[in-house]
Amino acid sequence: MSTEALIQVIASGLLMGLIYALIAVGLSLIFGLMDVVNFAHGEFLMVAMYATFGLWLVSGIDPVLLAPAVTALLFVMGALVYLGIVRYAMRAKANIGMVQIFATFGLAILIQGLSQYFFTPDYRSISNTWLGGHTLNVFGVYLPWPQIYGGVISVLVFGGLYLLMSRTDFGRALEATREDQGAVALVGIDRNRVFALGWGLGAALVGIAGAVLAIFYYIHPQVGATFALIAYVTVALGGFGSVFGALVAGVIVGLVEALTAVILPSSLKAVGVYALYLGVVFVRPSGLFGRL
Amino acid sequence: MKMNRRQLLMSGVAAAALAPMGRMAFAQAATEVVIGVVYPMSGSNAQIGVDAKHALETAADIINADYDLELQGAKGAGIAGLGGAKIRLVFADHQADPQKGRAEAERLITQDKVCAIIGAFHSSVSATVSATTERYGIPYIAADSSSPSLHRRNLKFFFRAAAHDEMFSKAMFDFMDAQKKKGKKIDSVALFHEDTIFGTDSSTVQQKLAAERGYKIAADIKYRANSPSLTAEVQQLKSGDADVLLPSSYTTDAILLVKTMAELGYKPKNIIAQAAGFSEKTVFDTVGDQLVGLISRGSFSLDLAAKRPFITKVNELFKARAGRDLNDNTSRQFTALLILADAIDRAKSVDGEQIRAALAAADIPGEKTIMPWKRVKFGPDGQNEDADPVLLQYVGENKFTTIYPEIAAVADAKWPMNA
Amino acid sequence: MTSAVLPNSVLANENAFASRRRNQLIIAGLIFAAVAALPRFVTDVYMQNVLILTLMFAALSQSWNILGGYCGQISLGHALYFGVGAYATTVLFVKYGVSPWFGMLAGGAMSAVLALALGWPCFRLKGHYFSIATIVIAEIGLLLVHNWDYLGGALGIQWPFGPDNWATLQFARDKIPYFYFALGLFIVTWLVTYFIEESRWGYWWRAVKDNPEAAASLGVTVFESKMAAAAISAFFTAIGGAFYAAFVAYIDPESVMAFRFSLLMALPAVLGGIGTLWGPAVGAAILIPITEITRSYAGGGGSGLDLIIYGTLIMVVALAKPEGILSIFRRSAKSENAS
Repeated sequence: MSTEALIQVIASGLLMGLIYALIAVGLSLIFGLMDVVNFAHGEFLMVAMYATFGLWLVSGIDPVLLAPAVTALLFVMGALVYLGIVRYAMRAKANIGMVQIFATFGLAILIQGLSQYFFTPDYRSISNTWLGGHTLNVFGVYLPWPQIYGGVISVLVFGGLYLLMSRTDFGRALEATREDQGAVALVGIDRNRVFALGWGLGAALVGIAGAVLAIFYYIHPQVGATFALIAYVTVALGGFGSVFGALVAGVIVGLVEALTAVILPSSLKAVGVYALYLGVVFVRPSGLFGRL
Repeated sequence: MKMNRRQLLMSGVAAAALAPMGRMAFAQAATEVVIGVVYPMSGSNAQIGVDAKHALETAADIINADYDLELQGAKGAGIAGLGGAKIRLVFADHQADPQKGRAEAERLITQDKVCAIIGAFHSSVSATVSATTERYGIPYIAADSSSPSLHRRNLKFFFRAAAHDEMFSKAMFDFMDAQKKKGKKIDSVALFHEDTIFGTDSSTVQQKLAAERGYKIAADIKYRANSPSLTAEVQQLKSGDADVLLPSSYTTDAILLVKTMAELGYKPKNIIAQAAGFSEKTVFDTVGDQLVGLISRGSFSLDLAAKRPFITKVNELFKARAGRDLNDNTSRQFTALLILADAIDRAKSVDGEQIRAALAAADIPGEKTIMPWKRVKFGPDGQNEDADPVLLQYVGENKFTTIYPEIAAVADAKWPMNA
Repeated sequence: MTSAVLPNSVLANENAFASRRRNQLIIAGLIFAAVAALPRFVTDVYMQNVLILTLMFAALSQSWNILGGYCGQISLGHALYFGVGAYATTVLFVKYGVSPWFGMLAGGAMSAVLALALGWPCFRLKGHYFSIATIVIAEIGLLLVHNWDYLGGALGIQWPFGPDNWATLQFARDKIPYFYFALGLFIVTWLVTYFIEESRWGYWWRAVKDNPEAAASLGVTVFESKMAAAAISAFFTAIGGAFYAAFVAYIDPESVMAFRFSLLMALPAVLGGIGTLWGPAVGAAILIPITEITRSYAGGGGSGLDLIIYGTLIMVVALAKPEGILSIFRRSAKSENAS
C-alpha cells in the first residue's frame, strides 16, 4: 500500500473516530452521572437520524441547519425517558444495574418497533444537501465534507462540554451529584431534576451525532445497532464517566479500526478494536481515564 | 395500580394463546388452498419481507380473480383443477434466524395446514425450512434463496425455479468474455463481498471462474456486513483499480459502498453487481446518479414487456400495492406462487405428495411467465437449469436496459461505464 | 435479600433450615413431574416447540445464574460458550461421526477450559468493564468462526438427515424427545444450583458478590471461587448449545453466537429474580412464550407490531417488579425467617 493510501486511511479513520467519540460521549455522561448503562443509546441515535430525515423531508431545510432542532428534540426525549422509565428502574433494591439494562433494552426494542411501524423498514437517505457527496482533495487525500463537518462539530461539542462542566452552575450540580448522590440533597440540589437534565443532555449529544450522521449514512430502524457496540467499547475504553476519555478513545477506535482493515481481512477489522480494549483494561482495569 | 398492570399482562398472554385456535378453525374451509410464506418481516431485511408480501399478494390476486393474462396459472378465477378454489396466503416472520424459520414452518404446516411453503430470502433459513417441509412431505419453493448448496442435499420436496449463484456468476463471466472478444480490455477483476452465506457463495464461484478464464484478481475484499464505515475497504479497491468491480452486497452496504467510493474519488471502470442491494429501488433512489452504467445480473427485466405485454399489467398491479416496480427479488417471488398454483391445478389436490409430483412434471414455457427464462422444468435435484439470468445496465432515473444475453438484449452495453 | 444469609445464622436455625431445604426438594420434584406430564396435554407441535425453547432457556439462564447471579459476575458473552458447545458437537458428529452425546461433553469441557483461560485475566475487571470485556470476547469469537473455513464459515454446518434415533439425537417430526432432553438438562442445572447454593462454594460466591474485599479478608479465595463458577456455568451453557445444534440440525455463526443469545441467557434470570433458585425458570416461562407468540401471531405483517408489544412487555415487567417476579413471594419468606 502506498504512503498516500496509508495517509488516506489514517485521515478517514481520524474523522470517523471523532464521530464515534461524539456518538459515545452522551452514553459516558449518563453513566458518569448515575451509573446507568443505557442500552437504548443506539436507538436514540436512530431516532435522531429519523428526526433529521423527517424534518428535512417536510421543510426542505438543509440538515446542517436542522441540527439544533434535532438536538432540542432529543433533549426532551432523553429527559422524558428518565422521568417516565429510568426513574422507576432505579427504585430496585437489588441488582439496579441489571434492571436498568433490562428496562432500557425493552425500550430499545420498543423504539425499533415504533420506527418500523411509522417509517416502514425501508432504507432512507438524505440527498442533495450542501455537504453530501462533496469532497475536499488535499494532495490526493480525499476528505469528505460531511465527515469534516462531523469532526469539527465533535471538537466544538467537546470544547463546549468542558466549559459547561467547569464554568456553569448546572455543570457543578452535575459534578456534585455524581460525586455524592446522597449529599447533594442536603445542599438543596434536586437529584431528580439533575438526573433528568443529565439524561436530556446525554440524549442531546447523541442527537447532534445523529444529525451529522444522517447527512452521509443510510437511515433504518436497525441502524442504531451498527453503532451501539462501538459506542459501548469506546466509553469503556476511555473510562466510564470520563468525557475526555470518550474523545480520546473515539479517535483511537476510529484509527485502529481503519488500520486493522488494512492488515487483517477487512471482515475482521472489529477484532483490532476489541483486542485493543482488552489489552488496555487488562493493564488499566478502569480504562484510559476512568476513576475507579 | 399494580393489580391492573398484572391483569393487563395476563389477559394479553391469554389472548395470544387463544389466537392459534381461531386460525385452525378458519383453515378447515374446503374452498381454499392455504400456502405458507416465510420471510424476514423485522430486522435489517424487513423491507425484503414487506416487498415479498406485496409480490405474493399480487400473484394470489391474479390467480384468484379472473384476469385475462397469458400467464401459466392465471387463467380463470381460482384454481380450475380444484373447482375454482381460492389461494390464501399465511405470512410468517423468521427474523433471519434458521431456528425461528423452522418453528414458523412447523406452525404453518401443523396449525394452518398449508399445502406448500414459499420462502425465505436468507439461504440459511431456507436450509432449515426445506428440511422441515421434507420431513412433513410438502413442497418448498425457494423463490429467491440462491445458495447452490441448497439443491445439493438430495431433497425430494425442494424446488427452485430461479437461478443459483453459480449460474449468475457464470453469466457475468460469459458477458466479460464476450466483451473481450469484441476487443475491450478486461484483464483484472476486484471482488468485494460481505461475510455472509450470500457473499461467500458468490465470491467462491467468482474466484474459481476468474482463475479458469484468466482474469487477474486485483483485490479480494471480504467485509463485515452492516459495517459502520467502508473507507479502508474502498481505499484498497482504489489501489487495486481493477477493470471490473464485482460487488456482492445488500442494500445497506451497497449504499455505503457507493457513497464511500464517491467520497474517496474512486470511479471504478466498470461494475458488474451480484444483484441483491444493486437491484433495490432504495439504492438507486439514494445514490443512483453515481451508478449510471452499472451492470447487475438479474432474474427479471421490464424490457421483456415489449415482447410480452402482460408483464406491464402485472407490474402495474404490483406497483399499486408496493409503490415500486417489480425487481430481481419480487419477480421471483411472484413467479414462485404462479408455478405452485399451476402444479396444484394439475395435481387437482392439496396433498403434498401429489403437488410434488405435479411440480416435478412441470414444463412451463418461458413465454408464459414474466421471467426471461427458457422454461421452468425442474431437474431431479429440484433446480430449474433453464432459468437463464440476464444482465441489466442502469441508465438512470430508475430504469434498466437488458444487455445480455443477446436473445434478450435490447441495447448494447455501454462499456466502460464511465466513458 | 434472603439469599445473603450468613453462615452463623444458618447454624442457629439448622433444623428449620434443613426441613425447608427438604420441602424445596419435594416441591421441585412435584413441579418437574407436572412439567414432564405436559406433552400429554400439549399436542400441538408449535406449542411443543415453545415449551422446548422455554426449558432450554431456563436451563441456559440457570447456568448463567451460577456466575451472574450467585457470583455477581455479569457476563454478557455467554453466547461464546453456547457456540463452542454447538460447534464442537456438530463438527465431531458431522465430520468425524462421533456421537453427539460424547461431543456434548467434549464441548462442555472445552468451554469450561476456555472459561478458565478467559477468567484468568477478566476477573480482575469490575462491573461494566467486566461485562463489556465479555461482550467483546464473544464478538471476537463470532468473527473468528465467521472467517474459519474449517467450521463452515458463514455457510454453517448442516446435520445430515438420519432416522429417528436417541443415539444421534435426531428426530424428524417428533418433538417429545427434545422436550425430555431439555427438561432433563434443566433439572440437572437446577440440582447443581440447589446443591451448590448451600455448599462451601455457594457461601463464597455470595460473599464475593456482596463484598469482595471483606470476603478476601475472611479468607475466601475470591479468585478461585470465581473461576469455579465460570467453569461450571460455561460447561452447562455449552451443553445447551450442543442441544440446540441437535434440535435445529443446522448451525451458523449468527444463529448460535450472536450477542442477542448472551442477552437472552441473562434476561430470564433477571426477569425472574437474579441469584435465586427458581428465578431463571420463572423468567423463561414468561419471556420465551411472549417472544415466540408475539412474533408468530403479530409479526407476519411486517409492521413492527410484534416488536412494540415485546419491548413494552419487557419494560413493564422490569419496572413493575424490579427485583424479579419472584420478589412477589419474598415477603412471606422474610416473615418466615423473622419468626
